[in-house]
Amino acid sequence: MKGGGERCWWGRRGPSPELLLNLLLCLAPLGLLGEETRQVSLEVVPHSLGPPVNLLHVRAAGTNSTLHYVWSSLGPPAVLLVATNTPHSTLMVNWSTLLSPEPQGGLLVLPKDSVQFASALVFTRLFEFDSTNITTSEPLGKPYSPYSLAEFSWNNISDSLDPATLSATFRGHPTKDPSRTFANGSLTFRVQAFSRSGRPAQPPRLLHTADTSQLQVALAGASRGNRSLFRLEVVMLGQSPSCPSMQEQHSIDDEYAPAVFQLDQLLWDPHSSGFMQWRPVAFSQQQGNRESAMPCHASALEPTLPYLVPQSPIVRAFFGTQNNFCAFNLTFGAPTGPGYWDQQYLSWSMLLGVGTPPVDALSPLILGIMAVALVAPGLMLLGGGMFLLLGRKQHLEYQSIN
Amino acid sequence: MEDEEEEARSLLAGDGALAPPATLPAICDPSRLAHRLVVLLLMCFLGFGSYFCYDNPAALQTQVKQDMQVNTTKFMLLYAWYSWPNVVLCFFGGFLIDRVFGIRWGTIIFSCFVCIGQVIFALGGIVNAFWLMEFGRFVFGIGGESLAVAQNTYAVSWFKGKELNLVFGLQLSMARIGSTVNMNLMGWLYSKIEALMGSTGHTTLGVTLMIGGITCILSLICALALAYLDQRAERILHKEQGKTGEVIKLTDVKDFSLPLWLIFLICVCYYVAVFPFIGLGKVFFIEKFGFSSQAASAINSVVYVISAPMSPIFGLLVDKTGKNIIWVLCAVAATLASHMLLAFTLWNPWIAMSLLGVSYSLLACALWPMVAFVVPEHQLGTAYGFMQSIQNLGLAIISIIAGMILDTRGYLFLEVFFIACVSLSLLSVVLLYLVNRAQGGNLNYSAKQREEIKLSHTE
Repeated sequence: MKGGGERCWWGRRGPSPELLLNLLLCLAPLGLLGEETRQVSLEVVPHSLGPPVNLLHVRAAGTNSTLHYVWSSLGPPAVLLVATNTPHSTLMVNWSTLLSPEPQGGLLVLPKDSVQFASALVFTRLFEFDSTNITTSEPLGKPYSPYSLAEFSWNNISDSLDPATLSATFRGHPTKDPSRTFANGSLTFRVQAFSRSGRPAQPPRLLHTADTSQLQVALAGASRGNRSLFRLEVVMLGQSPSCPSMQEQHSIDDEYAPAVFQLDQLLWDPHSSGFMQWRPVAFSQQQGNRESAMPCHASALEPTLPYLVPQSPIVRAFFGTQNNFCAFNLTFGAPTGPGYWDQQYLSWSMLLGVGTPPVDALSPLILGIMAVALVAPGLMLLGGGMFLLLGRKQHLEYQSIN
Repeated sequence: MEDEEEEARSLLAGDGALAPPATLPAICDPSRLAHRLVVLLLMCFLGFGSYFCYDNPAALQTQVKQDMQVNTTKFMLLYAWYSWPNVVLCFFGGFLIDRVFGIRWGTIIFSCFVCIGQVIFALGGIVNAFWLMEFGRFVFGIGGESLAVAQNTYAVSWFKGKELNLVFGLQLSMARIGSTVNMNLMGWLYSKIEALMGSTGHTTLGVTLMIGGITCILSLICALALAYLDQRAERILHKEQGKTGEVIKLTDVKDFSLPLWLIFLICVCYYVAVFPFIGLGKVFFIEKFGFSSQAASAINSVVYVISAPMSPIFGLLVDKTGKNIIWVLCAVAATLASHMLLAFTLWNPWIAMSLLGVSYSLLACALWPMVAFVVPEHQLGTAYGFMQSIQNLGLAIISIIAGMILDTRGYLFLEVFFIACVSLSLLSVVLLYLVNRAQGGNLNYSAKQREEIKLSHTE
C-alpha cells in the first residue's frame, strides 16, 4: 500500500500549507457538497418488461446537491456513484439498452451538465487460499480456483429493502456449485445510506456523514478447506489514466475500533472528489468484538485492462467506452490469528462518498477526563499555595505583635 | 523497598567473633566474604524464577489470547488472580516466616508454591482449561510476594551491618533482569516450540510455560541450598535463624495519619498505571507504532531494564538530598508526561518508555522510605504491610478494569484512564506537600536538615 504514502493528522505534523491549499481547491468546485442532512430514498428500479433485475437506486438529496448511488448485481456486484449540483437531478434507466450487449446510454443522470463527479466500483472476484499449505512463493497458501462474482445468482433485492435503516442486502451464491461449498453459505453485500452524520454501533464503527454510504461485505458458511483465507478483488473506474492514490492514515485514536490505529482511504483524485474509506480490520464473528478482529491488507492499485476483468453492464451503461480501470485486492486475515475458520464467517466494512473523507475527533468523554485530570492538580497546587502563603502571613503578623 | 527488614536484628554481627575452625577454605567459611558471595548469588537467583514467571502473560499476550480464546478482560484476570492472595498475605508473610515456618522452611515452602503455581498455570494451557491457568496464577501469587519478603529477610540475616544496601540493590536488579529476560525470551521460545510441534495452539502455549517454569525449579534449588547453608552457618557460628522482625497489629490502622493515607493513595494510583500498562503494552506497541513482536517485547521491558541500574543510583541521590516529596512529585509528573506522550503522539515510544522507566525507579526510591518518617517504628511493619496490601488490591481491580476498557474502548481510552490515575496520584502528592507544610512535618526535609534534627535529638 504505497500510493499516496503516509499522512498523519495528529502528532507528527500539522496540516501543511500545501494540504490546506488542496483542501481549498477541492472544496471550491464541490462546494455544493458537504450537506449536513439529506433526504434519502431507496428504490428498486422496476423492470416492467421481464423478470426482476436487482437495480437499487439510492438518491440522497440535499438543499443544493444530489448523490446517486446505483447498486446492481447485474453482472458482478457494482455501484455507480454520481454527484450533481442540483437537488432535482434524476436517474433515467433505459432497460432495453441496459440489458442489451451494448448497454452504453442505458443509464443517465439528468440534467447531464449537473454531474460534478461520477465513478464506479465493481467487485469482481473472490479468491480463496489454503493457508495450511504455505510456501515462499505462495505466502497465503495454495490458491483454489477463484469465484467470479459475475457468475453468482442473487436474491431479489426488493425483499431485503429496509426503508427504516435505509439499507438493502444483496445475498448471493455461485450459480454453478458442483461441490456444494455454498450449500449453506452466502456472500452478502449490505448497503446502507445515511441522512445525517453518525456512527453505527457495529464495529468498525466508521464515522459517516450524509455524503457517504456504507457497504458491508460478509461471507458466511462457505469454504473449501479448514483454514481458508479470502481475498476480494475490487475494480474501480479512475478519472484519469493514472490510478487513484491509496492513503494509510495513522491515528492516535482507536476508541471506536479498539487497537486499530489506522484508517485507509482511496481518493479518486488529489482534489478529493470521491473516496473510499475503511479501517484495515475484518471480523471473524458477527458481533465484531476485538478477539475476532483480523487484519485486512489492501494491495496497491494497478491499472488493469477492461477485458481482464468481468464487465459490469451498469458501468458500461453510464460510462460508455471510458475504461481507465484500476484494480486492487483486499486480503482478510493472516495464516495465524483469528480467521474465517473460527466461525466460518468474515465481515468487512467500507464507506463510499464524496467530498472530504470524515475525520475522527477525540470524543467529548476523553477531552473531559483529560481536562479534569490536568487541571485538578494545578488548581490544587495554586489554591493550597495561596492558603499556605496567607496562613504564614497571618502567622508572621501574630508573631510581630508579640 | 521494604526498609523494615533492615530493622531486624543482625545475626552475623562481627566477623570472626566466633571464629570457625581455621581448616575451612574461604569459600566454605560462613564468616568470610567469599562464602557470603556464594550466598548472595543464591539469594539473587532465589527470586529470579518468580520475577521471570510473573510477567509470562505479558510476554505472551497475543499467544495466550489466541490459544485460549479469551478476551483481554479475561486475560488480565491472570494478573488479578496473582494479586488477590497478596491483599491478605502482605500482613501475614512476615508472621508466617517468624512464627510458623522459620525463614528456611518458609522460603522453601514459598518457592514450592511458586513452582507448583507455574506448573498448574502451564498445565492449564496443555489441557486447554483457562480456569486452571487462573488457579495456577493464584497459587503462584501465594508464593510470589512472600518469597520476596523471605529473600529480604535472608539478606538482612547475612549482610546486616556489612553490604546490606548493595545486596538489596543487587536483588532488585536481579528481579528486573528476570522480568526483562522473560519479556524478550518467551516470545522466541514460543516460536521455537511452535516450529517443533508444527502448529500453534494451547499445547504449544502450555509447553512454553512449562519450560519457563524451569526458572522456578532453579529458584527452589536455591532455596534448598540456602536453607542448608544457613543451617550450617548456625551450627558453625551459633547464629539464630533470621527473622523479619515484622510486628503487624491491624488495630494500628486507626492511628495512621493523613500523610500516611496520602502516601498509600499515591502508591496505589501510581502503580496501577504502570504494571497493568506493561501487562497490556506489547500489543499497543505492535498496533500503534508498528513494532515487530520482538521490538515490542524489548520496549515493553525497558522500564525494568532502566530500573535495574537506576534504582541504586536514585537511592543514593534521594539519600543525599532528602526532599522526598519533591522527588516523588517529579517522578509522578514525569510519568504523567510519559503516558501523555504514549497516548497523544506518534513519537517514537522509546522516549516515553525511557521516561517512564526513569520516573518509576525514582518513585520507588523516594516514596517507600517516606513511610518511615510518618510512622513510629513499632508500627512500621503494619504500615508497609498495609501499603503492599492496598497496592495489590488496586492492581487486582485495575487489571480487570483495564482489560475491560481495552476490549470495549481501545488503547487511547485506556491511556486516558491511566493518565487519570496518575493525575490522582499527582493530586495526592500536591496535597501531601501542602499537608506536610501546614503541619510542619518532616517529609520534605533536606538530608542536611534531617542530620541536624538527628543531632539535636541525641544531644
